[in-house]
Amino acid sequence: MANNKNIVIQEILEKYIYPVLPHNLVAMISTVSFEKLADLTEIRLRINQPLLLVLGNSDITISPMGKIATNYNESYLCNQEDIHKTLQFISKNSLYAFEHELKMGYLTIDGGHRIGLAGQAILDAGVVKSLKNITCLNIRIAREVKGCANLIMPYIVTKEGRVLNTLIISPPRCGKTTILRDLIRQISMGSKMCKGLQVGVVDERSEIAACKNGISTVDLGIRTDVLDSCPKAIGILMLIRSMSPAVVATDELGRSEDIYAVREALNAGVSVLTTVHGKDINELLDRPYVGDLLQNKYFHRYVVLDDTPCVGTIKKIIDSENNEVLWDAGTK
Amino acid sequence: MLKLIGSILVLVASSYIGFQMASRCQGRPRHLRQIISCLGSLRSHIIYACLPLHEAVAQCTKGTNGPVAIFFQDVAAMLEKNGALTPQEIIKKVLNEMQGILMLKKPEIEVLNVLGGNLGTMNCIEQEKYLLMVIEQLERFENEATRLRDLNTKMYRYLGICGGLAIVIILV
Repeated sequence: MANNKNIVIQEILEKYIYPVLPHNLVAMISTVSFEKLADLTEIRLRINQPLLLVLGNSDITISPMGKIATNYNESYLCNQEDIHKTLQFISKNSLYAFEHELKMGYLTIDGGHRIGLAGQAILDAGVVKSLKNITCLNIRIAREVKGCANLIMPYIVTKEGRVLNTLIISPPRCGKTTILRDLIRQISMGSKMCKGLQVGVVDERSEIAACKNGISTVDLGIRTDVLDSCPKAIGILMLIRSMSPAVVATDELGRSEDIYAVREALNAGVSVLTTVHGKDINELLDRPYVGDLLQNKYFHRYVVLDDTPCVGTIKKIIDSENNEVLWDAGTK
Repeated sequence: MLKLIGSILVLVASSYIGFQMASRCQGRPRHLRQIISCLGSLRSHIIYACLPLHEAVAQCTKGTNGPVAIFFQDVAAMLEKNGALTPQEIIKKVLNEMQGILMLKKPEIEVLNVLGGNLGTMNCIEQEKYLLMVIEQLERFENEATRLRDLNTKMYRYLGICGGLAIVIILV
C-alpha cells in the first residue's frame, strides 16, 4: 500500500508538478525520498519565506542543499524569480489565456492540480479585475483514489437504482473533490447497486475531470459528459437542456446563481451531487444561499468529511429527512 | 573568341548581381506584409480564441509560407519546448538564426524584439492594444519599403546590366 502511494506521488510529481517548477526547486524537492513525500498535499511558495511541503497535517521545509531542514533559518527562501518562473511555466507565457482564473485567484494545471495565487488585487469599480505582484503560490496535489467513495455509495443509491441528491460538506483540503470524482465514476460505470447512469459534470475549475483540450484526463466512467471551465450556474442548465443527464455533479457551491441553478436541476427531476465548504450542517444552516437549500431539504443525504485521522475521512452520513445519522465514524 | 566568352560572362555576372539586389528590394516589403498579416491573425487567436501563445503563434501562419512562416513556426516550437525562455529571448534567438534569410532592416528587427517583451504578460485587451501598435509601426515600415522598392528595383537591374556593359567596353 505504502509502495503504491510512493509510485502515485512519483508519477504526479514527475508528470505534472516538476514541469511547472523552476529547475532549482525541482532539484531540491527531488532529493527528498518518495517515501517521505507519499502524503504530499501541497507545495507552498511565498516570497522571502521557506519553501514549504505540506504532508497531510504536518509540513517540512528544505535547505538549499536539498536536505529536510529542521530549523527555519536553514531553509531555502523562495524569491521573486521562483514565483515568476513558476507562473511563466504554468501559463506557458500566456497569462491572457488565464484572465478569468486570475480573477478567481487560482489556475488549474494538467492533472487537475489547482494552483492558488495571492498578491495584489487590481480593482475595477469595486470588482477584482486581476491580480498583480503575485507573491504566494499554493500548488495543491490532486489524487485520483478509485474506490474512496465505496462507503458512501450504498447510502446515496436507492433500491430502485435512483441516485439521491447528495451534498458533500467538508473544510478545504479534506478530499471532497476526490470523493466526488469517485462517486461520479461509480455512478457512471454502474455497480451491483445500480445500473450505469448518464452523468453530467460541470467542472468550473477543471479540477474534477482535469480536462486537457476539453478531454478528461481522469477516469469518470463511460457515461459522463463534462462541461469544462464553465460557470456552474450556466453549465448546469446547459447540461440539463442539451445532454439530458440523470445525475448532475458539480463542485463547491457558494454563489447565489449556483444555488438557483441547483434548485432548477432538483426541480427538473435530475439528481444532484455537489460539494460545499463547511464543517457541519449547523454551520451551513446560517449561511446565505446554501442555508436555504438545507432548510428546504433539497438534498436527501449529507456527507460530512474530515481530515482526522487522515485526509478524506468520512465523518458522518446523514439523512436530511429526520437528521438521522446513517454512518458515524466515531461509533464504527 | 575568348574575349567574347569573357565579355558574356562579365555581363551575365553583373546582371545577376543587379537582379539579386533588385530582388532583395522586393523581398523586404513582401516579408513585412506577411509579418503584418501573421500578427493580425495572432491577434485574433489571442483575443477571440484565447489560445496559449505557442499555439496562437503556430496557427497564425496559415496561408503564409517562406521565411516568415518558418520564423513564426520556429518561435512557436521554441515556446512550446523551452518554457524557461521568455518570448522576447526566443524571438531574439530566432531572428539571429534567420539573419540574411528574413529581409528585414534594423528598425523592423527592433520592433519585433520589443513585441516579444510584451507578449503573453498582459490581459487580452492590453495584448490587443499592443499588437495593433506593433502592426501600425510595421505598416509604416512597409510603406517606406514599398516606396524604396518602386524607386530602386529598376535602378538595380539597369545598373547591373549597364555596369556589366561598361566593364566589357573598358576591357575590350
